[in-house]
Amino acid sequence: MLLFRSEEHVQSSCRARSLPIGGMLSLNQSAELAWIWFNDRLDPAWRRKTLDEAEAIFAGLGLKGDFWRLRP
Amino acid sequence: MRPSTEFSSQVRLQVMRQVIETGRVPRSEETALALGRTPAEVGAAHRLLAEAHVFVLEPGTSELRMAPPFSAIPTPFEVQVGERKWWGNCIWDAMGIGAALHAEARISSRCPDCGHAISITVNGPTVSGDSGVVHFAVPAAQWWDDIIYT
Repeated sequence: MLLFRSEEHVQSSCRARSLPIGGMLSLNQSAELAWIWFNDRLDPAWRRKTLDEAEAIFAGLGLKGDFWRLRP
Repeated sequence: MRPSTEFSSQVRLQVMRQVIETGRVPRSEETALALGRTPAEVGAAHRLLAEAHVFVLEPGTSELRMAPPFSAIPTPFEVQVGERKWWGNCIWDAMGIGAALHAEARISSRCPDCGHAISITVNGPTVSGDSGVVHFAVPAAQWWDDIIYT
């Protein structure tokens, strides 16, 4: 998961490496995702999120569709 | 012998405590010393935690490459909280360091396309600073196929 200056730079990088464009998030979406994902990480009772929980978090941030599906 | 879930949890917390305190991910010997156990026992816990996708091992070893959100090696995602610095494994993890510490974190990175410096600050779920966009190259279902590449 990399940080680019803009969508144009993502497109340029993917083109140069002959890679398809994957999923793109705004910085606000990313910061919200990081907060939800990691804010309890130092809690002694922390446990890994289930697939259902993770997919619900993605959906809540508007990350829907095949790219964000966690089950193969 | 397979380590207990309780011991693995102790190892996880000790690794987190140490990386926060020292700025770097500890080796198994250090965690063993802190917990009064052997490096082999800690290595076994590392392997169990890696199987559970909690930690990521340095390939071919029982040492840690990633204790998400922290990286054991320098990356293009430097995170600063106050005077302290860490490396994030990716931009998601770099933002996650501020979230885990519940602190404002400044992230310094470079655009992989052009090398331009990008500096942002995260504080809880909010972000400020330079403009930018985050790109996930690998579909979510395949992230753990090769998490180091992801």
